[in-house]
Amino acid sequence: MTHTTVTYKGPSDKSEVKQRLDMRWLSHAICESISSDAVKKLPLLVGNEKFTVGDLFDISSKFSNQSIVLENSNTNMDYIGRALATNIELTVKGNVGHFAGAELAGGKLIIDGDAQNYAGCSMKKGLIEITGDGSDYIGGAFAGDKKGMSGGTILVHGSSGNFTGDLMRRGTIMVVGNIGDYCASRMIAGTITNLGTIGKQVGVGMRRGTILLPHKPKDVLTGFHDCGRHNLGYLTLLLHDLRQYKSTFQSLHPMRRRIQRYIGDTTVGGQGEMLIWIG
Amino acid sequence: MIINGVEIEDTFAEAFSMRATRVIITAINYKWARHAAETMTGFATSVIGCGVEAGIEKIIGNHETPDGRPGISVLLFSTDKKTLEKQLQTRIGQCVLTCPTTAVFSGMKGGDQIALGKNIRYFGDGFQTSKNIGGKRFWRIPVMDGEFLCAESTGYQKAIGGGNILVFARGISHALLACEAAIDAIGMLPNIIMPFPGGGVRSGSKVGSKYKFLNASTNHPFCPTLKGRPDNVLGKNIEACMEIVIDGLTKEDVALAMQRGIEAICDLGKSQGIEKITGGNYGGDLGPYHFHLREIMHDAYNRYI
Repeated sequence: MTHTTVTYKGPSDKSEVKQRLDMRWLSHAICESISSDAVKKLPLLVGNEKFTVGDLFDISSKFSNQSIVLENSNTNMDYIGRALATNIELTVKGNVGHFAGAELAGGKLIIDGDAQNYAGCSMKKGLIEITGDGSDYIGGAFAGDKKGMSGGTILVHGSSGNFTGDLMRRGTIMVVGNIGDYCASRMIAGTITNLGTIGKQVGVGMRRGTILLPHKPKDVLTGFHDCGRHNLGYLTLLLHDLRQYKSTFQSLHPMRRRIQRYIGDTTVGGQGEMLIWIG
Repeated sequence: MIINGVEIEDTFAEAFSMRATRVIITAINYKWARHAAETMTGFATSVIGCGVEAGIEKIIGNHETPDGRPGISVLLFSTDKKTLEKQLQTRIGQCVLTCPTTAVFSGMKGGDQIALGKNIRYFGDGFQTSKNIGGKRFWRIPVMDGEFLCAESTGYQKAIGGGNILVFARGISHALLACEAAIDAIGMLPNIIMPFPGGGVRSGSKVGSKYKFLNASTNHPFCPTLKGRPDNVLGKNIEACMEIVIDGLTKEDVALAMQRGIEAICDLGKSQGIEKITGGNYGGDLGPYHFHLREIMHDAYNRYI
């Protein structure tokens, strides 16, 4: 399949790039199918210096392709893949900055590297796949907003940072590795699962939703109550869904449904659930 | 047309447009799935008195069901969407929700949807939780054996009800033999149910009655004990007449079911006391679907001769 390649001309080493780069122009160009010549003339502000897109990026062809590759990206590039619509696939070769895949609206964003804070922030639909690590507030909300991601899936092959799924409203976050502190904080609904360890204060302020973990956290909050061991039928459906993505989650047997169930955070009247695999 | 000595009358079965849905009931084993399915499809023989016609379509292996447990597929037919939705929810609520270990899923993908667990969830009294998995919403309702898992909605489609076969036989045992053979053959097909008890009907009805308060009454021209009446259609050798009513999702499904049923009866032949096969109709004015027996049996007839 043919694809459009966008290559950053600057250095990929973060130490040599002093200012942040707002990449919202890329989503605009993709969604509007703008010609490469027109895109190259788009203004781009880097700090207080004025550039055009063409000054900093090479673009191979018009953005009429559904598959786009961004090469030589770095951690200063924010808002990569913002609000991508259905049927568009953006592959990023390298690390990305903050707000990658924010407000994603059905597209597919594959990050072949690490992502900084707020990846998948307020996303609505689609898939974000991070082959490296994610940082804080994955699937969270924009500062001041009352809800985070409201649909879609975020798959992190590495580990994620603190406040994963903060204010999450719907959707699924899958982390193959570890999750930091305050996972599912203020969660409204949705599902967060991992295969590694998890930090402190899991589910603090959680209202509803599911945290599905392989091991019990070291400190279970006082607002979480043990509801005993159960076989939950819906886990088979969930596992079928998780296993559709090429990841370590495929090693989970779909008929595995025995869990220890905690509900909380009751300190805020929450009825969320923390499920720990048994056996 | 005569096959194996059995006359196929040159007439047609008249069928009606309906709305149908399919749900899949799963449970810890087939025993409990069947309990739920049989209860849910009980008292669902005719839309005239039951609101819905329902039956078990087939057994589903655990590798085919959404939650990997043994399942049973149930089809429900009604005259309109509103009645179908109401009947579905009542029957799920009273017969499946109550049955130990069960869960219920949509059996029709896409298209127009009707509520399944959407309203049943309120039984959870605020403790119910929804899960959006793979783009579909499910409800988890806490119950005394754990959780009742239920899809939020299921698809429904236009369908056909009232396909039928009438068997004229020399005695009740012969008529039963014929019906059982036909029911076994039709029961192998998908997208079909035979909503009456065991699949057979002995009280075929005609439209109207001498009593003003009745819309339907016994089909007296087909009653052997009234053979002396001038409007009776049974020959002097006929002592029993039985009907098999077929509801199906498409015209092709009903036609195939009728063909398989007639073939099974004809395989028994006249030597087993079966005299004639005919179809029930109301002159063609009531139902838009006319299944002409000889057209249905045309290909099969060529095989027999």
